Amino acid sequence: MLALRTMFDAFKNKHGLGVACFIGFAVFFWALFLIALPQIAMLDYSFRFNLPRADIGGPSDVYTLENYAYFFRGNDGGFNALDVGILFKTLVAAVFVTIIDIMICYPIAYILAHSATGVAARLMVIGLIVPFWVNEILRAFAFRILFGATGMINGIGMEIGLWDTPIDFIRADIALYSGLTYAYILLMVFPIFNAVEALDRNQIEAARDMGASWWRVHWRVVLPIAKPGIASGATMVFMLTAGALAAPQILGGPSNLWFTQLIYQWFNESANWQRGSAYAVILLLVCIGFVTMMMRVFKVSIGEIGR
Amino acid sequence: MNKGTGGGVIAAGFSLLFFSFLFGPLIIMVITAFNSSSFPRITPWECFTTEWFAVLIGNDRLMNGLANSLFIGVGVVLISVPIGLAGALALSEMGPRLRAALYTVLITPILIPGVVLGISTIVFWGALGRGVGADYGSIFYDGMFLTLAGQVTFISAYAMLVFLARLQRFDPTLTEAALDLGASPGQAFRKILLPFLSPAIGSAAFLTFLASFENYNTTVFTILSGNTFTTTLASKVRHGTDPSLSALAVIIIAITLVGAMVHEAHTRRSQALRDGSAARSKIYGNPVLRVIVHPLCVFAILIGSISFLTYQGSQYDASVCKQQVLDEKRARQEQLLEEQRQRIKAQKEAAGATETGTSVKKSPSAFGGAFGGAAPKPVETPKSPSPFGNAFGSGTLAPKTD
Amino acid sequence: MTTKDIVLDHVSIRFGSYTAVDNAHLTINGGEFFSFLGPSGCGKTTMLRCVSGFSEPTEGRVLIGGKDMKGVGPNKRPTALIFQNLALFPLMSVAENIAFPLEVRGVGKKDRRKKADELLDMIALPGVGDKKVHELSGGQRQRVAIARALAVEPDILLLDEPLSALDLKLRHHMRTELRTIQQRVGLTFIYITHDQGEALTMSDRIAVMNAGVIEQIGDPEAIYNRPKTAFVASFVGETNAIEGKVTAQTGELVVLDTPLGPLKGTAAGGRKYKPGDNCYIFIRPEQLELRDNPAGENAFTTQAVKAEFEGNARLLFLGANGVDLRLTRINTGERPADLAGTAVHVGFDPSKAFVLPHSALAGA
Repeated sequence: MLALRTMFDAFKNKHGLGVACFIGFAVFFWALFLIALPQIAMLDYSFRFNLPRADIGGPSDVYTLENYAYFFRGNDGGFNALDVGILFKTLVAAVFVTIIDIMICYPIAYILAHSATGVAARLMVIGLIVPFWVNEILRAFAFRILFGATGMINGIGMEIGLWDTPIDFIRADIALYSGLTYAYILLMVFPIFNAVEALDRNQIEAARDMGASWWRVHWRVVLPIAKPGIASGATMVFMLTAGALAAPQILGGPSNLWFTQLIYQWFNESANWQRGSAYAVILLLVCIGFVTMMMRVFKVSIGEIGR
Repeated sequence: MNKGTGGGVIAAGFSLLFFSFLFGPLIIMVITAFNSSSFPRITPWECFTTEWFAVLIGNDRLMNGLANSLFIGVGVVLISVPIGLAGALALSEMGPRLRAALYTVLITPILIPGVVLGISTIVFWGALGRGVGADYGSIFYDGMFLTLAGQVTFISAYAMLVFLARLQRFDPTLTEAALDLGASPGQAFRKILLPFLSPAIGSAAFLTFLASFENYNTTVFTILSGNTFTTTLASKVRHGTDPSLSALAVIIIAITLVGAMVHEAHTRRSQALRDGSAARSKIYGNPVLRVIVHPLCVFAILIGSISFLTYQGSQYDASVCKQQVLDEKRARQEQLLEEQRQRIKAQKEAAGATETGTSVKKSPSAFGGAFGGAAPKPVETPKSPSPFGNAFGSGTLAPKTD
Repeated sequence: MTTKDIVLDHVSIRFGSYTAVDNAHLTINGGEFFSFLGPSGCGKTTMLRCVSGFSEPTEGRVLIGGKDMKGVGPNKRPTALIFQNLALFPLMSVAENIAFPLEVRGVGKKDRRKKADELLDMIALPGVGDKKVHELSGGQRQRVAIARALAVEPDILLLDEPLSALDLKLRHHMRTELRTIQQRVGLTFIYITHDQGEALTMSDRIAVMNAGVIEQIGDPEAIYNRPKTAFVASFVGETNAIEGKVTAQTGELVVLDTPLGPLKGTAAGGRKYKPGDNCYIFIRPEQLELRDNPAGENAFTTQAVKAEFEGNARLLFLGANGVDLRLTRINTGERPADLAGTAVHVGFDPSKAFVLPHSALAGA
C-alpha cells in the first residue's frame, strides 16, 4: 500500500494529478477487470455443474471436479483417450509448427539484419508486413485454394504427372500445418531480427578471419545472440498455434480436431459452458506449464517476451 | 553483398523462396477472383469475370458484419490505446522488481489463447450480471460489449508494447527541463511527452484497429449470437465457399498495398526533409517529381488507377465467354451422351434387346442436376470432384449469398 | 545575507544505504559563480538536483534567499537548470524552446516571440528563431539552452557539466563566454564539472567533492596553491605525490623520510605532525627543477625514463626507488640534450611543496 502511494506521488509530481489518476485507474481496471477477474471467474466456473438458470445459487450449485474428471475418464469411467489424445496431438503439432517457423525465420531475420541493405531491406520489411494485414481467415482460405482436391498443387501435380489421383492434403493435415506456419511467421521474424540486429558485424568478420566456417560462425557467434529473440518468438508462436481456432476449423481435416475445437464444441454445440471452461483451463495450464518448462530448459525469462 | 556467412547466392535464393511462400497463396487467391469457375481456382481457367465482386457486395450478412466490425474496431482503438499508454507509462516509472511483476501481468493476455480470453470474458461478465440481477437484455449479455471487453484485454497489450518501444527512446530530462522551466507536471505531459508519443499513438491506433478487425478466436465466443466481419467470413469459409471471398481478398490486398505505398512515400519524404538531403536528392530536388512523390499525390494516383480499373471491370461482360464455355461443355456432354447412346445401341444390337429408350434416359443422370440449377453460372466439368475433398457436398455449386 | 543567497544546511542525501551527499554545509552568495568540482560519482549532480528541486535532502535543509525549499517543486523554485545534454525540446523550434517558460506561464504568443528574439540577440544568435534545434551547431545549442533558462528570469542558474559534449576548442571558447554572460546578467551560477580547468578559469569559488564529502571550499588560487587534503592536492592540477614518514617539524617546515631520502615540505594549513605520521609530500611538475649536482637543499638523484614534447613545455618522466615523478620545463625554443636513460639530479623549493596527511588520492 505504501509502495502504491509513493508511486502515485511520483506520477503526480512528474505528470500531474490528472495523468496520475488516469494511469492508476486504467492500469487497475485493465489488470483487475479485464485480466485477473475473468480468469478467476472462468476457473470458478469450471468447478461447477451445468445447471439451469433457476438453480444457480441454489442448494445444488456446489463445487465439483466432474468437469475435469470427464477430461480424463470420459462418460464410461474408462480413460478418455480421445480428448487426451487431441490435447497431446495439438501440443505436438504446435511444437512442430514452432520448430518449422524457427528454421524458416532465422535465416530471413539474419539476412534482413546483416545482408540486405538499402532498398532491398526496406522492400523485405514491407514484404514481410503487408501479407499480415490481410485477414487471418482469408489467409487460411488461400491455403484451401492451394491445397484443395482440385487446388493448385493437385492441379499442377497431376498435370505434370507426379501423381494421378488428387492427394487429400486437407485430411493429411498438410494444409493445416502450412497455414499455421504461415500465420505466425511475422511473430517469429521480428523478435529474432531485433536480437540479431544488435550483433556487431565486426564479431562475425573477426570469427571468419580466424578461420571459422560459416555454420560455426552461426552456431558460436550469431545463435547465442539470437537466443532471446528465438525464445520470445517461439513462445508466442507456440501459444498462438496451440490456441488457434480459425485455421483448424478451416484447414483441418474432418476427423482431426484441434483442442480449441473441442472447447468450441462444448460452448457452442453442447451449451455446456462449465465443461468448456474446464477444458479452457486445462489448455491454459498445459500451455503455460509447457512454455515455462521450455524457458527453464533454455534459460530465458518472461521479461524478454515481446521485446 | 554478403561476405562469409552464408553466401550471397544462397541468401538471395532463400529470400526468394521465403517470399514466394508469403505471397504465392495470396497471388493465387487474387487470380481466382477473376475466374468465372464457381470454385476458387486457376485451373481449368474458364472466363475472366468481375461478377464475384457483385456477389460479394450483395452479401448482406457480410456487410452487416462489416458494420459491426468497424464499430467494434473504433471502440477498441478508443479504449485500448489509452489503456496501453497508461500501462507503458506505469511500467516506465517503476522500480525494476515491481516493473517485472506488472509487466508479466500485463503481457500475459498476449500469450493466453484467444479462445480462453473469450470464454473468461463471457463467464466473468455473465457472473457479474447475475450478481447485480441484470437480465439477458442488459449490457452484460450484449455481444458487442463483451467483444469490446474481450478484445481490449489483449489488444491493449499490443498498444502498450508500441508505447514502451517509443518511451525507451524518450529522454526523461526533457520532462525535467520542462518542470524546471516552470511548467506544471500536467503541462509537461501535454506539451513534451504527448507530442513525443504522437507517432506511436498513430501506429498503436492502426495496430489495435487491425487486431480488432482481424480477431476471430476471442470474438467468436464474445459476440454470442451476433456476428462480425471475421466471424461471418469464417463461417462462410467453413460451410462452403466461392470466389467472392477471393474478390474480398483482392479488395483488402488493394487497400493494404495502397496504404503501404502511401506510408512509404510519407516516411521517405519526411526522412528526406528531416536530414536535409531533400535539396540534393534527384527526386526531391526536381519540382515535378517532388509533387508526384508527395504522399497525397501518390494516394490520388493509386485511387485514380483503381477507380479506372474498377470502372473498366464493371463494364466487362463475361456472358459471351461463359456462354461459350457452357456451349463447349454442352457439346462435350452431348458428345458423351451420343457416344454412350451408340455404345448402348451397340450393346442392344448385340444383345438383341428392345428397351432402348429407358436406358438412354437413365444414363445422363450423373450430370443432369448440375445443368438445371446453375444455368447462368458456369458449370462444373463432371470430372472434377469438389475441390475441398469430402468436406462438402455438391450443393455448393452456385455461389451462396446468404 | 542577500535575498539570493543559497544555504545548504547540513544536507545529506541517501539512496537506501548509499550516501550520495554527506553533511554538506555551505553558503553560496548571490551573484557568485560557484563550482562543484569532483570526479564522476562524487555526488555533485545529486547536490544540484537537490537545489533545483528534483530530489529532497534526506537530512538538513536547502534555503534559497532565506526560505526553506522543502516541498517546493522544481517549477516553483527561483532556479533554472541547464542539463548536461541541454534537454532542448527536439519537436519545437529554437524560438519555441526559448519561449517555453513564458508559454507555460500563459504569456501571449506575440510577447513570447518578442522576448525570445531579445534573448537570441543577447546570446548573439539573432535570426535563428525559426530553425529546428537539430539544425544548430553544438555551441549554438549551448547558448540557446542558456537563453531558455534565462527566459525563466531565475535568481540562480544551475549548470550540470554543460560543456562536456563540446569539442576542446569550443569548450575553451564557451568558458569565457559563460563567464561573460554571468557577469552581464549578474545571476548566481552554480556550476557542476569534473574538469578542473573549467572550474579554475570561471569560478569565484570552488567546492571540491569526493565520495559525497566536500573536501575544500575556496577560490581557485587557494584550491590550486593551498590544497587542504591529499585528494584536493592530487585532483586539482598535475602533481607528484611522494609518500613518507614524518621525522621532524620546525614551524611550518616538515621533514619526511621518503624512498628518495629525506625531503622537506611545508605543512599546509599550519598543521602539526608527530614523528612517525604517514604523509604525502606533493610537488607540482613545474616546481621540480633539474640540477647540475646532488648537493643543495631537497635534492635527490633519480633516473630519467623518457622525454615528451608538448609544444609549450617539455615533460620528463623520472623513476627510481619505486617513485615515479614528472617534471615540466618551459619550451625555450632550444632543444635540450636527450636525458632519457641517464641519471639526473632533481630538487625543489620546500615552500612550494605541501605535506598532507595520508588519505585517498584522486584516481587511486
